[in-house]
Amino acid sequence: MNKEVSPGSIKNLPNPGLGLGLRSKHFNYILENNPEIDWFEIISENFMDSGGRPKHVLRRIAERYPVAMHGVSLSIGSADELNIEYLKKLKNLAAEINPLWISDHLCWTGINNLNSHDLLPLPLNEESLKHACRKINKAQDFLERPLVFENPSTYLTFKLSTISEWDFLRFMTEETNCGILLDVNNVYVSAFNNDFDAAHYIEQLPHESIVQMHIAGHRNCGDYIIDTHDNFVAPEVWKLFSRAWNLTGGAAVLLEWDSEIPDFDAYHSELLKAKNFMNVVTDIQEFNEEKKYQFEVVSNPLDFLVTDVIHELNR
Amino acid sequence: MPTDAQSELAQIQNWMQSFLISPEPNPVKAADFINDSSRLSAARHLNIYRQSYIARLRECMKNQFSALNYALGEELFQMFAEQYLDAYPSNSYTLNNLGKNFPSYLEETRPDAESEEKESWIDFIIALANFEFSLSEIFDEHAEEEIVLADDSAPDEALKLVRVFHLFQHPYPVCRYYLDVVKKKNPELPFEENTWCAVTRCHYRLGLLEINPAQYFFLEKLRRGLSVEEAKIYTIRKFSLDPKKFENLWYMWRKSFIDSNFFHYK
Repeated sequence: MNKEVSPGSIKNLPNPGLGLGLRSKHFNYILENNPEIDWFEIISENFMDSGGRPKHVLRRIAERYPVAMHGVSLSIGSADELNIEYLKKLKNLAAEINPLWISDHLCWTGINNLNSHDLLPLPLNEESLKHACRKINKAQDFLERPLVFENPSTYLTFKLSTISEWDFLRFMTEETNCGILLDVNNVYVSAFNNDFDAAHYIEQLPHESIVQMHIAGHRNCGDYIIDTHDNFVAPEVWKLFSRAWNLTGGAAVLLEWDSEIPDFDAYHSELLKAKNFMNVVTDIQEFNEEKKYQFEVVSNPLDFLVTDVIHELNR
Repeated sequence: MPTDAQSELAQIQNWMQSFLISPEPNPVKAADFINDSSRLSAARHLNIYRQSYIARLRECMKNQFSALNYALGEELFQMFAEQYLDAYPSNSYTLNNLGKNFPSYLEETRPDAESEEKESWIDFIIALANFEFSLSEIFDEHAEEEIVLADDSAPDEALKLVRVFHLFQHPYPVCRYYLDVVKKKNPELPFEENTWCAVTRCHYRLGLLEINPAQYFFLEKLRRGLSVEEAKIYTIRKFSLDPKKFENLWYMWRKSFIDSNFFHYK
């Protein structure tokens, strides 16, 4: 990391506790009831350009709760250069709501200025590591703060890869002083799809760099698992979470739920289950795969990012 | 653009992206770049991304064009949406722009493009697509909304249009159809009919109201910065109205506009 960003800054980030993703479905409930949530995570792109209700609500929520910014379009792994217009808007939003931190994914979303709106996997090798680190440093310098990167759910591995994902993340943190957002469900999903040991992955990470953890639900399609964020957290993921919690000594925890989003109380109840898996010894060697197969499901559902005007007219 | 067009990273990303967003088969096989796993071949691994790409963006299009999805029916809408996404892959960091070119795409690819006689239902579909995308933009447009709404006691000279205020005219009852879809009234495709409507946003809530051509003319004058009194004069002249009779009409318009949150205090 360049000198403008303090090398120790990730370690100075707070642990705000248990948080939920801020979704428009819950806006009114939160504003009217002030639920006892430690913090909220927003999808940065939902608010960067907003001049209407989403931004208005965010301002009010940011007055009451700590908020972290989580992005899906930084595309740090793309061979394209960084989109400076995008970074400017990210920086402006951060200046407005003073987030706990800004995170995105170890992925690429498109090349030649296109955007697939998916979190696509990188070939993990020396070339991509050097490239990603250069872009991370540049983005951190521009934003004048450390960034936090999430391991994505992956559905393939490249023949060109020569570095394991856990080592890639470790090297990234060493080269740039960025933080890690450990998505425990993504580890489980990727491990199933790509034949690696999820527990080993988590054990090998640089635990001191893990700022935050994600937990979420997924769907088993038989031959593969899709990261759907539309379901309760699977028992196997809770077990992994427990292990990660012990290894990290505790980090901020956030439950993602992006499709078939339940009412706020049900969402909150699922989050609170995390307390049952903190500071307990869990045997993670025995993973019983779910037998309930689901087909035609979508990874990283994003339709909640699009303004649903008809819903707004009916509210 | 890639920093180094010859880099392996750029090459593999170009290849993978073209597989995801292009309907054309790529001569390079998945197995050349991607590992098989114990359960899936390289091709099946890659297909998970292609299927999710289409399904994810189709859902986003459906959300952005809910009334159009109803009007066309799910199957036809999906076909148009998929063809559109192939022709206009997203180049924006935000999904709110995903459907920006959809109305013009529908116009470019209308099946009666070559024939002299145009099919009216296609005109309606394009008008509806334009209207829906406009609504999504209006919903989130930048405007200060700390305003005091006018009530019945406000004098005419104190009335000012709310900051988010848009007028539309259509050769079909697009607004009425849209509102019927919102209210789940299962509307039929409408016949040709010139219609006018106003779309407002007040305290971050959208309002849609069908208006008549004289009201459209009057409100357009206000939108251009004229006072109520000036707009009245232009409207009376334009529609050859009796000024005294117009005062009675204005009394009703004014109540309707105030009830619809068109005005705030200057």
